[in-house]
Amino acid sequence: MKTLADLKKIREKAQEEMKLRGSNVRMKIVVGMGTSGIAMGAREVMKTFLEEISQRNLTDVLVTQTGEKGLSSMEPVVDVVEEGKDKVTYGNMNPEKVKQVVVEHIVNGRIVSDYVVSTGS
Amino acid sequence: MQDISLHLLDIIENSVRAGARCIRIRIINDAQQNVLRFIIEDDGCGMDSETLAMAQDPFYTSKETRVKKVGLGIPLFKQNAELCNGRFTITSEPCLGTVLTADFERDNIDRLPLGNLKDTLLGSIVGHQEIDFYVNLISRDKGKEQSFHFDTEAIKEELGDIPLTYPDVIEYIEQSLIEGIQNTYMEDV
Repeated sequence: MKTLADLKKIREKAQEEMKLRGSNVRMKIVVGMGTSGIAMGAREVMKTFLEEISQRNLTDVLVTQTGEKGLSSMEPVVDVVEEGKDKVTYGNMNPEKVKQVVVEHIVNGRIVSDYVVSTGS
Repeated sequence: MQDISLHLLDIIENSVRAGARCIRIRIINDAQQNVLRFIIEDDGCGMDSETLAMAQDPFYTSKETRVKKVGLGIPLFKQNAELCNGRFTITSEPCLGTVLTADFERDNIDRLPLGNLKDTLLGSIVGHQEIDFYVNLISRDKGKEQSFHFDTEAIKEELGDIPLTYPDVIEYIEQSLIEGIQNTYMEDV
């Protein structure tokens, strides 16, 4: 059974880490979760991002969901936002592509241009 | 939509767009009454009676940026509930919020499976840190009731400034949800 005491341990561990490297959010990932995105598999895309973050212990990446933004023909759509850089939008995403984007872009900073559908604000 | 939990995800996103700060989700799997019931309640901006009537029309959307004015979320959910002898109601009050109830006849051959409820809830909870989620799962069968309650307010209080996307927290929430879904026999409904 998971209890609130487990959370206390997590908090202590996380606070130790933050003392060492600060609490900055380096990157924000936004998964489009409108009706068409959901119908095209956005839930699995979201799930895969969460899995990868958890497995790779990426403590400085934030993942959020948002409604759709008029790119219905390219769903599921994902934005990667990094401070001081242009926003990168990936389209037609699936769990396999997500794993690639995490390794290449999120971890190593190399944009996976094959899946990019638009850049800029 | 292939399963009901995808509809649920869609409805949750509606509540988010309505500016909800708190979303309550209740799922009741009642074998005795042969009903699978979903109640989603938010404290978002709500709708007046005119907008509420239009929300069930597939050619209405509140999204201003849309070129093609289509809004299929609510109509599809309603259709799927009614297709299997169920019921679908929305009540709403401007400035107060919205309550949506969908009943499905449990053993109806046309009823969609519940699907991956855990992924729907996990993504919504972690993907909307600013919103408090209250999840209540109840199953009733042969005079016995099993229930699971999950509330993110207590978790956030315990975590302080640690975000829900912190790797160990994602895992914690995921495990809690898996346990709750299993304890209320909702993994294969």
